[in-house]
Amino acid sequence: MSISRQPIRQPHVECPSSRRDFLARAGGGFGGLALASLLASESRGASQPAESRNVLAARLPHFAPTATSVIWCFLDGGASHIDLFDPKPALDKLDGQPLPDSFERPVTAMGRTAYTPLMASRRKFAQHGQAGLWVSDWYPEIAQCADDLAVIRSCHADALNHVGGICQMNTGSILGGRPSLGSWCLYGLGSECDDLPGYVVLADGGDNPPGGNRNWGTGFMPAAYQGTKFRDGKLPILHVAPPDASADPRQRGKLDFLQQLNRQHLRGREDDSRLEARIASYELAFRMQAAAPEAIDLASETAVTRELYGLDQKETARNGRNCLLARRLVERGVRCVQLYMGSGSKWDAHTDLEDNHTQHCRESDRPIAGLLRDLKQRGLLESTLVIWAGEFGRTPMSESGNGRDHNPYGFSIWMAGGGVKGGVAYGATDEIGLYAVENKAHVNDLHATILHLLGIDHEQLTLLHNGRAERLTIVAGRVIHDILA
Amino acid sequence: MRLLRYSSDGRQSVRRHGRWLGLLATVACLTWSARAEEARVGEVRPQRSSWAFTAPRPPTVPAVQNAGWVATPIDAFILQGLEEKGLEPSPPADKLTLLRRVTFDLTGLPPSPAEQQAFLADDAADAYPRLVDRLLDSPRYGERWAQHWLDIVRYAETDGFKEDAFRPNAHKYRDYVIRALNADLPYDRFIRQQLAGDELECDNPEALIATGLNRLYPDEYNAANVRQRRQEIQDDLTDTTSLAFLGLTVGCAQCHDHKFDPISQVDYYRLQAFFAGLLPRDDVAVASSEQKQKYAEQLAAWEQATQKIRDEIEAIVAPKRQAALKDALLKFEPDIRQAVETPLDQRTTLDEQLAVQAMKYVTPKLREVPGKALKGDEKQRYEELQKELAAFDALKPAPLPTAMAVVDGASRLPATFRLVLGNYRKPLEEVQPGFPGCLGEPEPSIVPPSGNTTSSGRRAALANWLASREHPLTSRVMVNRIWQHHFGGGIVATPNDFGSMGEAPSHPELLDWLAVEFMDRGWSMKAMHRLMLLSAAYQQSSQVDLDKPAHARALDRDGGNRLWWHARRQRLEGEAIRDAMLSVSGQLNDAMFGPSAKPELPQGIDGKLAWKPDANAAERNRRSIYVIAKRNLRYPLLEMFDLPDMHNSCAQRSTTTTAPQALALLNSDFALAQAQHWTGRLLAEQGGKQNPPDLSAVVRAALGEAFSRPASDEQLQVAAEFLARQTAAIARSGDATASAVLPTPMPAGIDPAQAAALVDFCHALLNSNEFLYVD
Repeated sequence: MSISRQPIRQPHVECPSSRRDFLARAGGGFGGLALASLLASESRGASQPAESRNVLAARLPHFAPTATSVIWCFLDGGASHIDLFDPKPALDKLDGQPLPDSFERPVTAMGRTAYTPLMASRRKFAQHGQAGLWVSDWYPEIAQCADDLAVIRSCHADALNHVGGICQMNTGSILGGRPSLGSWCLYGLGSECDDLPGYVVLADGGDNPPGGNRNWGTGFMPAAYQGTKFRDGKLPILHVAPPDASADPRQRGKLDFLQQLNRQHLRGREDDSRLEARIASYELAFRMQAAAPEAIDLASETAVTRELYGLDQKETARNGRNCLLARRLVERGVRCVQLYMGSGSKWDAHTDLEDNHTQHCRESDRPIAGLLRDLKQRGLLESTLVIWAGEFGRTPMSESGNGRDHNPYGFSIWMAGGGVKGGVAYGATDEIGLYAVENKAHVNDLHATILHLLGIDHEQLTLLHNGRAERLTIVAGRVIHDILA
Repeated sequence: MRLLRYSSDGRQSVRRHGRWLGLLATVACLTWSARAEEARVGEVRPQRSSWAFTAPRPPTVPAVQNAGWVATPIDAFILQGLEEKGLEPSPPADKLTLLRRVTFDLTGLPPSPAEQQAFLADDAADAYPRLVDRLLDSPRYGERWAQHWLDIVRYAETDGFKEDAFRPNAHKYRDYVIRALNADLPYDRFIRQQLAGDELECDNPEALIATGLNRLYPDEYNAANVRQRRQEIQDDLTDTTSLAFLGLTVGCAQCHDHKFDPISQVDYYRLQAFFAGLLPRDDVAVASSEQKQKYAEQLAAWEQATQKIRDEIEAIVAPKRQAALKDALLKFEPDIRQAVETPLDQRTTLDEQLAVQAMKYVTPKLREVPGKALKGDEKQRYEELQKELAAFDALKPAPLPTAMAVVDGASRLPATFRLVLGNYRKPLEEVQPGFPGCLGEPEPSIVPPSGNTTSSGRRAALANWLASREHPLTSRVMVNRIWQHHFGGGIVATPNDFGSMGEAPSHPELLDWLAVEFMDRGWSMKAMHRLMLLSAAYQQSSQVDLDKPAHARALDRDGGNRLWWHARRQRLEGEAIRDAMLSVSGQLNDAMFGPSAKPELPQGIDGKLAWKPDANAAERNRRSIYVIAKRNLRYPLLEMFDLPDMHNSCAQRSTTTTAPQALALLNSDFALAQAQHWTGRLLAEQGGKQNPPDLSAVVRAALGEAFSRPASDEQLQVAAEFLARQTAAIARSGDATASAVLPTPMPAGIDPAQAAALVDFCHALLNSNEFLYVD
């Protein structure tokens, strides 16, 4: 391959000036060029290293996307599909009975739950919206957005435990070490904003999801594509100095001197664009120090908006804030936002499902519905894909009498906006919600579909690592065309 | 870059074409071997990857026109490549540039001012070779180069997965690698000890520690599906061993015959069969036989003295423990339960493997039994007995140090099967241990080892095959790795992939010459370092002058510098950046080995993952190779500068340039503290000569230490201007004494605004390109 020996002008030169510009270029049929530039920036051969170019510069997708940003509300711990989006009347009849022999006995996380009695849902389900989508009374507000949702009721995954499940939802594999979806998006599309990270993670508590940073890590991909977990407080990014420091002449003076030294050093080394890229990285860092605190400052949001997200109520304030932040970040061009709700496996209702889910549904219902409504009224839902999904669902078999175990064999997720058809229920589980049986959708298929909405062919977005052209969907994945608008 | 394209339904196509591909691969293998034969005897330049599958033979060192440039045979090969293209090598780097380059290369640390002066003053013809020898003899060499190996074997000290449990003896493997490199342990023995130290050197504690290599896989203590977990571990061992020693990606063949290399699915599982009997062991004592004997005698005495007490304790606890065991085992499938409940002496090796894995979950629950399950009188009696037992503690020997090691199961080894798409539930035919046919004789000679082991000898057979002179890949892969780190890229640019998806070698004859030389010199890695570092090719300047016609021509014909017409400027790795900062600040603690250092974490990293920093600052400031290697929380400064993720074998780190790196070096407490210590040290040193200290001397010293060369007039001038500006700004802001960052220690008799400006100056140097890049 050929490597440009021209010193780069400035980083981010490829960055379009606006979302509209980006979309216009994307629609202009330059997909092939984009792929070429993507690959050119990737090869790590013996030739002059490729990190000289700004690896995060925005790139064109393979084809015109319907979504340019993704917000993923992650139900950490696994929400019960059969109590939320997948009603099972047959389960009511089998309440208290053992799993009928007609079902293959599954391997379960707790083992004993393969033998415990079935447990009917205590929720009331009703049909909502013009399409008549079934939603239980645990999600009254989200139910009102039914006509925006495409519920996939036939999801299945490979992990019995949380850490593997979350890892797979993020990276495609239950084993650690692979890049996350957000990293693949940045790798494929770059970032549209140059003063904030392109991939941001928010959590609603002190606990990390199982596996911690690995969930938004890059695995074998370069570190530049990793997600940035925003921290509590006024300084969301690690090592961002207080806002007054960036206005501090002392810091600016130090930076100016540094750049003076770097420019001196560059003389006679002009061929090496890495050195100039590093000079530019300091200017970007300086800008980020101002932009990040501004992005998370909600002072300019109206009372109506705050209420829409549930910031006015104790139970919903935390997730409401994160959902509102997600909208603000997307507005500023952040590519991927992932919100962990119930961070630290809080949805994991092995006992007392009623208590657990009543609380967590309440905490997430208004904020998520508020996000959908707010995006819609601002015209952002068209280009923003919102995903509601955890690592798995829960078993129809009971645990400890009133809880449910992990169920990766069949569960529901939904998507909305960003080119997804609304009011759709796709696929089905069996009569009791144990196994996905109709139009099964593996995690790899979900990933293929998400990338498709972003204008990426999941089979073409590859990275050569240890002799294999790796991709998010590993060796599988099929786009679920039936849920596309 | 080649793009691998799977069909839209990859799995289907594999299923349909599996047999057809197998046949193709066989044909391809034969064809490739034949081509390789041609390449060896004839003039035909090797085709992609074919060259890699026959043993290297020493090529003739080529004759070149500019023979005066040739310092070692390496140079003849390099020069031949250049002359063929009408190019010429770059002039040699100046002495101080070379000193900085070779010192960082071998030790990961900058040369001290004294070392700079000594080397500059040494006019002897052998000044440079002596410098190389001195650096190779330094214990810092092993600390630097061990990290390269640890990257390849995805070393970490924790399990990964959710719990990310700490592995208390993992650091002994890290120390083993450092010691092996410092002692120049021949590479063939390095391989044998790591893969099969328990079989080949069972009386050598070092070799037992070395087998920790086979324990580095991530693991999940509470895996519900134990058989699947076993298969994942087997796959991981197969993949990583192949990447590390063969430089081949065999992972594709887990599901189907390799699409590009002649590795069939059968080959994959035959390789895997060498590990089929592997059992993890944490109780392998690393002690001399006298120590072990003494320990056994003391333990027996203690056991005898406490027999009655322990019997009574056991009588109380046993039924509860039995109940707890039964309850805990409900997590698992019946066959796993049965494996655990089978008495030790009746277990097959497979039973033992499954039971060991299941017990990772069960054992902690059993430990809780006395505390949780005993009530009332029983509890009281239990506590009394514990007190009585404690009275005999003086008799009890201190436990022997143990290693994280492996053994083979003592009884019948589990069969290995070819699996449909790698699925452990879909076995096809059984396979026996064997080597990929394209790499020579496929049938191993497996002999149970002599000595006090009950092992099968399978891993010894694998190790002996790899460590053989006839092996086509082993020596090539390793010399390429050494070359890669000295020259900034491999002769094969994809050091973990010598197959068809990898890059073709830029200098195949040179690679073979080095590989043969490596073996002829007793697989000595230090000999190879010396050979490469003394070459004229290594000592070239890295400067590229766009106005120079020779360089313009070279850029045009070989823009990627594959022919090595100039040295490559390299950015320091995260470890070297941190170590260099600690080195100039004077805070580096060069204590070697032992449990890992836990440096302070940046504010805001908290939660269950975070470690408690060492109370002792010196402990926190040990070299980066000793910083705790935690899979779920990599030390942020190192992570930012491209530390591998510790799950994948990483042969070549990426070097990214990002804003978070800039923020970390600008704003982290760590970087700032080093600037403060550095300034404090320089002020103290200059203050020793003159009081108050001569600030321009401080500036000169700082520049000299940071960039390993005397400061230029221009640098001194911009530094003086900056200090004047910054001092005034700090003085104006009025907080110079209250909140300004001052040197540590702050000397008396110096203006605080000036001192704070000096800290800013040193801090800027730590951030500069010249500090992070090596010419």
